[in-house]
Amino acid sequence: MTADSTGARRLIRWGQILTGVGLVGLALVFVLALRYTPVERFQGLPQKIFYVHVPAAWSALLSFSLVGISSILYLWLRDPRLDRFADSCAAVGLVFSLVMLTTGPLWARPVWNTWWTWDARLTFTLILFFLFLGYRALRGALQDPGERARFSAVLGILGMVLVPFVHLTVYLFRTLHPQPIVLKPSAPSLPWEMLRTLLLSLGVYTVLLIGFVMTRYGVNARASLEGSDAG
Amino acid sequence: MQVDPAANAGYLIAAYVVTALILGGYALVLFRRANRR
Repeated sequence: MTADSTGARRLIRWGQILTGVGLVGLALVFVLALRYTPVERFQGLPQKIFYVHVPAAWSALLSFSLVGISSILYLWLRDPRLDRFADSCAAVGLVFSLVMLTTGPLWARPVWNTWWTWDARLTFTLILFFLFLGYRALRGALQDPGERARFSAVLGILGMVLVPFVHLTVYLFRTLHPQPIVLKPSAPSLPWEMLRTLLLSLGVYTVLLIGFVMTRYGVNARASLEGSDAG
Repeated sequence: MQVDPAANAGYLIAAYVVTALILGGYALVLFRRANRR
C-alpha cells in the first residue's frame, strides 16, 4: 500500500465521519427550527423553509467559488490535485443547488403565490446551476486527463464569475426575492432565536460540504491511483 | 396582514423532506462508492 493510497483512505474515512456528523446536525436543525424557533408573524410556517434554503444557497455559492479558485490555481500550477478538488466541489455544489432550487419554489408558492418567477436572482441561480451541469458533462465527455482539466478549469472560472452577480442581483435589479438579512454591511436584522437556528444550520451545511468534498475527493484519488480515472 | 400560524404547513414539511432526501441520498451514494472495492 503506497502513501498516496493511505492518504486517500484517510480522507474517505474522515469525510464519512464529517458527513455523518453533518447529517445528525441536520436532524438537530430540523428539531430546533420546528420546535424551538418562533413562527414569523406575516409568513407563518413557510418562513421556516429559510433555515434549509439560505444555508443551501450559501453552500452552493461557496462550492462554486472554490471551483473557480482551484481552477485558477490549476491553470497556474498544473497540479492534478487542484483539478480533482475543483471536480469534487462542482459535484457537491450541484447537490446544494438542487436543495436551493427545490426549497425555493416551496417557499415562494405560499408567500409569493407562484412557484417560480423569472426575476434576476432566480434566473441567475438557474443559469449557474446549468453552467455547472455543463461543467460535469464536459468532464464526462473528455477522455484525456490534461485536456479535461484544462477545459473544465476555464469553465469553472467562468462559473465563479457569476457567483457575485447572484449575490448582488437583489441590489442591481427590481426583484421579488428578499434582500440579504445576514450577509450585508449592517448587523443581521433577525431576532436572536431565528439567527441562532440559521447560524447552526449554516455550520451544519458547511460540515456537510467539507464531508462530501473530502469523501468524493478521496474516492476520485483512489480511483485515479487504481488506474480507473473517475474524472 | 397576519396569517394563521398553521396555514401552509405542507410546504414546510415538503421542503424539509426534500432537503433530507437530497442530502441524505447523496451521502448514501458517496458512502456506497467509498466502500465499493
